[in-house]
Amino acid sequence: MNLSLVDPFVLAQDYPESTTGSLRSGHATCVRFNRKGDLLAAGRVDGTVVIFDVETNGVARKLKDHTRQVQSLSWSRDGRYLLTSCQDWKCNIWDLQDGSILRTVRFEAPVYIAELHPWNHLKFVVSLFEDQPLLVDVSEPEAVRLNLPSAPKRTKYDEDEASRNRQNAQDAKQTTTVAIFTASGDHVLSGTNKGWLNIIEVATRTTIYSTKICTGVVIYLRLTSSGRDVVVNAQDRIIRTIQLPNLSAADLDPDTIDIEVEHKFQDVVNRLSWNHVAFSSTGEYVTASTYNNHDIYIWERNHGSLVKILEGPKEEHGVVEWHPHRPLIAACGLETGRIHVWSIVPQQRWSALAPDFAEVEENVEYIEREDEFDIHPQEEIHKRRLDLEDEDIDVLTIEPVKGEMVEEENAFRMPVQLDLNDSESEEEFIAVGRGEMRRKSPMEGRDYMLDSEVMGSTDEFSKKPKARSRKR
Amino acid sequence: MRTLEGHLAGISTIAWSPDSNTIASGSDDKAIRLWHRATGKPYPVPLLGHHNYVYSLAFSPKGNMLVSGSYDEAVFLWDLRARKQMRSLPAHSDPVGGVDFIRDGTLVCSCSTDGLIRVWDTATGQCLRTIVHEDNAPVTTVRFSPNGRYILAFTLDSCIRLWDYVSGTCKKTYQGHVNTKYSIGGAFGVGGTEGFIASGSEDGEILFWDVRSKEVLQRARGHDGVVVWVDTCPGRSGTLVSGGLDGTVRIWVNVEDEDVDKVKTEQENGVAAFDRDDGDVDMHEVKVENGASDDDTPGDEMSIDGRRTPEREAEQPVNGGLNLDEMEE
Repeated sequence: MNLSLVDPFVLAQDYPESTTGSLRSGHATCVRFNRKGDLLAAGRVDGTVVIFDVETNGVARKLKDHTRQVQSLSWSRDGRYLLTSCQDWKCNIWDLQDGSILRTVRFEAPVYIAELHPWNHLKFVVSLFEDQPLLVDVSEPEAVRLNLPSAPKRTKYDEDEASRNRQNAQDAKQTTTVAIFTASGDHVLSGTNKGWLNIIEVATRTTIYSTKICTGVVIYLRLTSSGRDVVVNAQDRIIRTIQLPNLSAADLDPDTIDIEVEHKFQDVVNRLSWNHVAFSSTGEYVTASTYNNHDIYIWERNHGSLVKILEGPKEEHGVVEWHPHRPLIAACGLETGRIHVWSIVPQQRWSALAPDFAEVEENVEYIEREDEFDIHPQEEIHKRRLDLEDEDIDVLTIEPVKGEMVEEENAFRMPVQLDLNDSESEEEFIAVGRGEMRRKSPMEGRDYMLDSEVMGSTDEFSKKPKARSRKR
Repeated sequence: MRTLEGHLAGISTIAWSPDSNTIASGSDDKAIRLWHRATGKPYPVPLLGHHNYVYSLAFSPKGNMLVSGSYDEAVFLWDLRARKQMRSLPAHSDPVGGVDFIRDGTLVCSCSTDGLIRVWDTATGQCLRTIVHEDNAPVTTVRFSPNGRYILAFTLDSCIRLWDYVSGTCKKTYQGHVNTKYSIGGAFGVGGTEGFIASGSEDGEILFWDVRSKEVLQRARGHDGVVVWVDTCPGRSGTLVSGGLDGTVRIWVNVEDEDVDKVKTEQENGVAAFDRDDGDVDMHEVKVENGASDDDTPGDEMSIDGRRTPEREAEQPVNGGLNLDEMEE
């Protein structure tokens, strides 16, 4: 409800400008905002999942069960459930009401990415390492796993038997590297290691459409919040945005689907690879973190131009995420495991502090009102004021604010845990160098804080060995 | 009934967390303490940081933050999970009388004896609006309206004003009570479908105004002496509670067309507060003396589903030798 008071120029700014701080709890490798945007889930190297409160920048909850690095996170629509996939070959669905595990599913292979069904928190799709992707239904405690195809759908077969056989042999080698649900949840979009994009109908589990969009591996797919567009990160160093056809149309003929790449974003000069991509809240912008480079790129989709290169802490970033309705980007630093945040720093307007003053662009000649210096008796002024208060007002009806998510009745709210700190002194991993970890001693205080306020404990540790070596 | 012990000096304010599991109290010992409702035990570390008496508290609607106003003229925002000060707002040039959170938690308002009401952005800590009345009367209590469109301000010129904080104009002035010396508080309430405003008065009455017409709907007498604080029950029951300088807390229930005070209780320190969920723990101690409305058991009256309505609150009239409710400096 603060929007009516905030400077319109600040509101018009729809992508972040500068770094505004960082969050830390252990070494985070992936992050994801919930749909409301008040919580940020972070998966850590040691398998712990930390839920940050975006309003306070503090830890709201810790979820412990995984034993290896967390691979991906996916929130349910109402924000109550969180699906985590991990390098320990497991996926967990957590209930944030009490932080318990609702379901655990163990797979036969490491999990690349697991993504929840947009409307049903007991269904998800996983893409597995060198295995077929699975559609998992955990409505019952015993998980039902259904195979999804990886092979693209061939529209016309070659006449020649030899080349057909070759093609079949090739298709058999295809594996899915990423699979996500479309907005309705009726279809799955998947990308393969040979650069194919498949649309799979969930009900029949058949591929209804396939297209080869790039030459290398499809690394990541992400939908806009409306579900109409998808961004593809691929090994060939090009980020593509694609407008999806309406797959839920009643008269959908799979043969008429035509997917065309809308924009290709790439760095032609430096030939940069992209670690991770994300859409902005409205889908107008695309952001990406760069491989072997510190910057975060932002392109806009109207003209397909680069609008901003965010500089920040001098480290390479992995997963990058855009806040669901604010110009705020969070990205995981690969070396330190900190979550860096870019946002807008608004200026204090001085007229807000002194109501008698107004900010003007240039000098204005003041014209005195006719009765400005008339002297009236105090009571009369008071009475006149009271008489003016004849407006009809309503203090109860809640007006919907434009652009803000309408809160559903009985929307889920994660309970606030006030005794979190009391259980804070446990073993944590901290990074000593790139790829190197060490266990944190229990004597160090809290392991998360705002960067601007205090030097993090990591810094102290990384400095100590250096100091020692200098002495020698 | 349970007595929460821990503060070293008088307590000026208490507040309920939205889930009713925690009580926050602000004291003259400059500390804010958090208490488990169920056990009555305090959380080990109090919130320290204010340089002077803590005078006003409010929880954010999610319960993750607390705002506090103090005699040190600052407003602090606290991260309750970490029990850490998030932000200190250089708010006023006089003691801060009241603070409140808006229903979606994005704004905080504060007021002071310097006559200003300030509206702050929770996320950035910036002052977004300052409201001041021409007469510059000291403002002792502020409340956002249930829909968050207006701010209700209690001033020491015996007026309660309803401000549209976006335009910065005063929409309504409610008069009829006496308020020149004490930091008197009141609240919005809903009776049936209409909104009302309830406030204490220094002549011992509780007044009810119609929000739209500004007319006094009712005057209720029950306290001997100043009624310092009135708080309404979330929901549409119209139940309210009042605390007075006579050391009593009274609960008032709406009986058909005639509001009659029915309940009387004596609490040692006279703190009045409404629990949000279900008053079973704190309120069942209160004895209902009137059998007229047989189905109106206190349990029913306190069971509340109005999770969205800004409620909460409490104020303490007298404590020890310090009488902080006098805002005269």
